[in-house]
Amino acid sequence: MVQLAQLLVNGLVFSSIIILGAIGLSLVYSIADFANFAHGDLMTAGAFGALVAAGVLGGDPPTLFGVTLPSLPIPGADIVLFELPLALYVGILVGMAFAALVAVVTQRFIYEPLDAGSIELLITSIGVALGYRAIVQLGFGSGQRTYEIERTGRIEWLQDLLGIAVTPRDVIILGLTAVLVIGLHTLLQYTTLGRKMRATADNADLARVSGIRTGEVILAMWVIGGALAAAGGVFLGLDTLVRPRMGFDILLVVFAAVILGGIGSVYGAMLGGLVIGMAHELTPAIPFVSVEYSSAVAFILMVVILLVRPKGIMGEVT
Amino acid sequence: MSRHVLEASNVDSGYGEVQVLDDLNLHLDDEEIVCLIGPNGAGKSTVLKTVFGLLSPWTGSVTLRGEEIGGVDPADLVRMGVGYVPQVDNVFGSLSIDENLRMGGVARESGLDDVIGRLYERFPILDEKRGAKARTLSGGQRQVLAFSRALVMEPDVLLIDEPSAGLAPSIVEDVFRNVQTVNELGTSILMVEQNAREGLAISDRGYVLDQGTVAYEGRARSLLDNPEVSQLYLGGADYE
Repeated sequence: MVQLAQLLVNGLVFSSIIILGAIGLSLVYSIADFANFAHGDLMTAGAFGALVAAGVLGGDPPTLFGVTLPSLPIPGADIVLFELPLALYVGILVGMAFAALVAVVTQRFIYEPLDAGSIELLITSIGVALGYRAIVQLGFGSGQRTYEIERTGRIEWLQDLLGIAVTPRDVIILGLTAVLVIGLHTLLQYTTLGRKMRATADNADLARVSGIRTGEVILAMWVIGGALAAAGGVFLGLDTLVRPRMGFDILLVVFAAVILGGIGSVYGAMLGGLVIGMAHELTPAIPFVSVEYSSAVAFILMVVILLVRPKGIMGEVT
Repeated sequence: MSRHVLEASNVDSGYGEVQVLDDLNLHLDDEEIVCLIGPNGAGKSTVLKTVFGLLSPWTGSVTLRGEEIGGVDPADLVRMGVGYVPQVDNVFGSLSIDENLRMGGVARESGLDDVIGRLYERFPILDEKRGAKARTLSGGQRQVLAFSRALVMEPDVLLIDEPSAGLAPSIVEDVFRNVQTVNELGTSILMVEQNAREGLAISDRGYVLDQGTVAYEGRARSLLDNPEVSQLYLGGADYE
């Protein structure tokens, strides 16, 4: 029982990362109408953006393209909240802004001028993904890094009370994901921009003839998708390691979440991310199935659900 | 300056390399209902798309109160007082009725709640179902919502593409009554209609399009009474 509870916690943490990646991927699909294979590497870009910002603002700047960046520590950079220094919290915001900028620049100067169909854009996005990764590798090398945060261990009272190991960074990942998901829900449901985004995703032509400036809405969608991807990338880096291939390696699982939830449905992506993430981490609870098969189990579950609901759990729900 | 509220002069237009409109001339005056009729493929919907900036005229001009609007982005035309109700997919199915109306008014700077309130009074069915998703509406109710969405901007000119398409005959009458109501409130209407007799019956003037150009034009009544128009365009297999 305790082991199952532990796996559930692990599943929630992994699901959080998948959900943040899946939302952006689904947003792009719903409005720009193509499967963006560069989305995983956008997560990587955000993770490295946060690494640079946290280093520079925390007084321990990294080396970029062989040059050591300047140290610009912010006041209180070393203040630690839930295991993470203040500089990293600011770094997360900078990483999100950086990935949003990368996404917008890519849309503005590559995807938009192409004016191509879904398949052409998909192929182009593979090239863009390789481009992102090449730049990251040139800048930081191909090795793995960490955010260089000392682990303070498990939260004692949770360990004593429930017998499960939950670290402060698990709490941070879950808490910030919840904030971002609730924030996105509020934006989509209760703001004019959110309604415009849903309207454009529903019927871009009708949105245009209704007076909605769809170009601006699409840019907003790239900003939000990029920022959430970056948050997912940072959390993945916190949970594991920061590597140039980190986003690419997780992209297939993110795609599975989007497809399972219903392609183009933001809420479906959230649900799909939760299901895939949980299935991934709960695999050791299945008798005779070892952890090495966790990805296979997640994908088998996806196929089974799609056989029952071919359009995904929330297909056609924007 | 043109005395017409809307005017298309010597317009050629089409899709890609395919020309559909050929030297088209038509106009719409204040507070008129003008109906475009013609056989399938005559270019009726292409006229509306060209006027509304969804297609750019290859040659010729489209003017709104004398100002050139050919190729102007639809989002800008909405702000200039032109509304458009497409033939199909004319509501946001995943949005509520209230959200549909609000999307129709994104370009309004003020008075959005007031105008939506008046639309709810005029069309109580929308008020009753304001929180329901638009995809749950019947065909006739969707058409009412599509009109209303376009009316939130209180346009001077409304372009309507086949308002009766796909609707049961019992509902078509209601739809045409709504078109007349909108017109009586001061909106000039350029309407494409496959139900030619019914469309002309509520219109002031009409144009008969054939192969992308105007074959006949005149008062709606005289077109209905014209034996040649009647035989060629009102009594064929295309019309019920």
